Amino acid sequence: MTTRLTAEQRDLRDAVRVLADEQIAPRAADVDASGEFPWDIVELLARQDILALPFPAEHGGLGGELLSVCLAIEQISRACATSGLILAVQELGSLPLLLVGTPAQQARWFPDLAAGRALAALALTESEAGSDAGAIRTSARREGDGWRIDGAKRFISQGNVARVVAVFAVTDPDPRAVRTRRHMSCFIVEQGAPGFSTARLEHKLGIRGSPTAELLFDGVVVPDDQRVGEVGEGWSIAMRTLDRSRPGIAAQACGIAQGALEAAARYAADRTQFGKPIGEHQMVAAMLADMAARTEAARQLLYTACLEIDAGSPQAGRWSAMCKLVAGDTAMAVTTDAVQIFGGYGYLSEYPVERMMRDAKITQLYEGTQQIQRLLIGRDVLAHGG
Amino acid sequence: MAGPVILALAELTDGQPTRLSLELATLASDLAVAAGGTAVAAGIGPRAGNAAPTLARHVERVISVEAATEADAPAAIVIASLLAALLEQQTADIVLLPASPDGKDVAGMLAARLDLPILVNAASVAWADGRPVVEMSAFGGRLVTRSTFTGATGIVVVRPGATAARERGSEGSVEVVDLEAAPDPRVTVVERVVSAGAAVSIDDAPVVVAGGRGVAGPEGFAVIEDLADAFGGAVAGTRAVVDAGWLPYAQQVGQTGKIIKPALYVAVGISGAIQHKVGMQTSGTIVAINRDADAPIADFADLLIVGDLFEVAPRLAAAVRARRG
Amino acid sequence: MDILVLVKAVPIVGNERLGADERVDRTVGLEANGNDEYVLEAALKLTEAHGGEVTLLTMGPTAAQEALRKGLAMGAARAVHVIDDGIAGSDARATATVLAAAIGRQRYDLVLAGADTSDGQGGTLASAIATSLDLPYLSYAGRIELTDDGRGVRVQRLSPTGYDVLEAALPALVMGTQVLGEPRYPSLRGIMAARSKETTTLSLADLGIAPDRVGAGAATTRVLDATPPPARAGATVLRTDPESAVAATIDFLAARGLV
Repeated sequence: MTTRLTAEQRDLRDAVRVLADEQIAPRAADVDASGEFPWDIVELLARQDILALPFPAEHGGLGGELLSVCLAIEQISRACATSGLILAVQELGSLPLLLVGTPAQQARWFPDLAAGRALAALALTESEAGSDAGAIRTSARREGDGWRIDGAKRFISQGNVARVVAVFAVTDPDPRAVRTRRHMSCFIVEQGAPGFSTARLEHKLGIRGSPTAELLFDGVVVPDDQRVGEVGEGWSIAMRTLDRSRPGIAAQACGIAQGALEAAARYAADRTQFGKPIGEHQMVAAMLADMAARTEAARQLLYTACLEIDAGSPQAGRWSAMCKLVAGDTAMAVTTDAVQIFGGYGYLSEYPVERMMRDAKITQLYEGTQQIQRLLIGRDVLAHGG
Repeated sequence: MAGPVILALAELTDGQPTRLSLELATLASDLAVAAGGTAVAAGIGPRAGNAAPTLARHVERVISVEAATEADAPAAIVIASLLAALLEQQTADIVLLPASPDGKDVAGMLAARLDLPILVNAASVAWADGRPVVEMSAFGGRLVTRSTFTGATGIVVVRPGATAARERGSEGSVEVVDLEAAPDPRVTVVERVVSAGAAVSIDDAPVVVAGGRGVAGPEGFAVIEDLADAFGGAVAGTRAVVDAGWLPYAQQVGQTGKIIKPALYVAVGISGAIQHKVGMQTSGTIVAINRDADAPIADFADLLIVGDLFEVAPRLAAAVRARRG
Repeated sequence: MDILVLVKAVPIVGNERLGADERVDRTVGLEANGNDEYVLEAALKLTEAHGGEVTLLTMGPTAAQEALRKGLAMGAARAVHVIDDGIAGSDARATATVLAAAIGRQRYDLVLAGADTSDGQGGTLASAIATSLDLPYLSYAGRIELTDDGRGVRVQRLSPTGYDVLEAALPALVMGTQVLGEPRYPSLRGIMAARSKETTTLSLADLGIAPDRVGAGAATTRVLDATPPPARAGATVLRTDPESAVAATIDFLAARGLV
């Protein structure tokens, strides 16, 4: 199997790269400094059909190939990690519907999501249920023909700007159901539903333009046709969602690493000390070499993972975890080295690498910490003897 | 038997030859001397008779053709038709045409109509081995090529600055020729609109002061205009500035704008990206004012003043005015 | 209405080289001439407003396809690519001949070309082609629209003092400038559709042009040599307070006779 990109994938990647360089990169510093959600970039991505990538063609999408989505996330993230996340979260929040949504549900929400008229978000995590996602307490109880949702979600990316939020809630608190992971279900809650509000937005180390929300559900009633998948299928949906969304984060991480590598390489070619460009001093050259090799390795693993996952590999979970693990650690290492190469200047906000380093950290934390990824992979290694 | 006839087209504005036309007349004279031939300037336009004496001070022979180029047919079409008719009566081996918008239109029309070889974008023209040698700046100034015709005849389209206009010290002869224009009637000029504030043309201004994104806004351009005024030069800008609406397109220097070669180009708040560089790289002297000592323009400027343009430019304008008296 | 847009594939700005024959090396990475995208945008807007399709036409080696792909992704319906080894080394005259012949074989109401090119054509090609096809020619367009009866074209031609309004009945050839308006970014939908759009290739034989009329052998001009210009000495850098810097600048300019 080859991981050479097709001509169409190359065209897509190059087109997004040009857009990112010309229209998004100039905004990156300001998005970070202001901490404001870049609606202009949402509109730009929508206009260029980039937000249509995850969705099926019949609803105005561009086919949903995981590798295509990741190529776009990577190129955007090269310029601005917050902007890359817009596409990644659009996919993440829509995945329950993509995986198990009924034709009626897909027809109801996909056209607006594909056109970028509406944003999506995924609400799984809670204050006391991060890595231990099975320990969520938000509940959904039958009420008439629908469900009443009560609880609170934390750390929800774009939770306050999304119109379509996929919420995971406990529908069967019985310990047996919890043990067998049949205790959760998934529901679509729309912005503006009575009882649904944003309690706070976090101040963060990085991806500062991306709003991270605490969402409150105070007696939010949704009709049963907004339940996604079977009652009790929530945990399975969540796991399958993460299998497909983690590569998106790996793509963001690869993009961040690539952007940092390019900035460091340009700097090392221009900055002269001791009579020559610092890139010609061996210690710096070695750093650049390692940065490049690691970034490429992470990228190739990502592309292969995307192809395997789309091909229905029974080890999709392992591919997904591996590519996210490697890419996240790579992004952190490469951006840290990039700051190092810039020297004192790298510490200043006038230069982009400190922002990239701050942005990189989140890729080791969300959609499953690196420790969770290692647990998953380790389990699979034991099960398969390698 | 006389040597080659070198005929230069003179464009007329307000009854006088343009500066570029006088340069072409001088060039024709110089080439004729080198070639042992004759130089002719054809002044084609309204009140051509008025322009003839000025032309006659630059070249040994002037042909004056009265033409209505400001009526309802586009000037280039009228001129091309008259010039083609003139060339039927009057042989010319080498035809020099100005690289102005009308001149370039005429060049293409004439080349196709008379099936003549054509060399364009001449930065200078010399004579060697019985033919013109045209020097052209290619690839945005990264290469200089010299080309010639394989035969003995052709059109050369000449840029501003190929030579300095120079009076010969004697009066050439003037012949008035009556020609019927037969311009293509299918294209009509319906209206001529004059926009407010049309600025000094940057095409052949000896000093150009240009502003870039660093100027930060249309108000910032007052500083640029003042500096240009102090030098007696023209105001120009990068594409970013034109896209932002701070300057009209006619003043844009760069790959999709104009390529100019003033004696002095002052780049204020301009980083020096390649798309801009190709438009001004062959200027005589390049002075840059920029906050960033590492901006790409440092690679091809002659003098770089590192500083705040709002501090430096007004002081420079004052100093230039004091110097010029 | 059917609009034909001439696209000149030029070396990517900054990467230009001369080939062994001292002519522009067109085997390297090529992109559409800067101004061609502006006229293509104008063409797309016209067909969006009045119906019809845009066809791209280019002449060049295989690498010229790159220039076409972006235009197709922007929304042109199809492309015509004139490609023949015999064209290599053609002078301006032969280029005009080949393009005129190719245009002559297409159906069109309007032909659009971009002003000048970054690789030295010098802005005479459009008028030469119009003349040999006997088409009304309108140049330096800052704005293009159809006349009210839909049978003619109205153009604002940039002038030193503003603009002239020109009109001509269709079919016509219009040369356009950047003032026409920023070209659109190709959307992803457009990019994906581009690969399935048709590109017709034409050879000299298809155009009925004998090989001895074009190419290096028929060239009426030739390049004698190509050299880099005299290197500029590096910049003198002034890093002092504004007053001192200005004084030093005046001295610098005076020494060169510029003040």
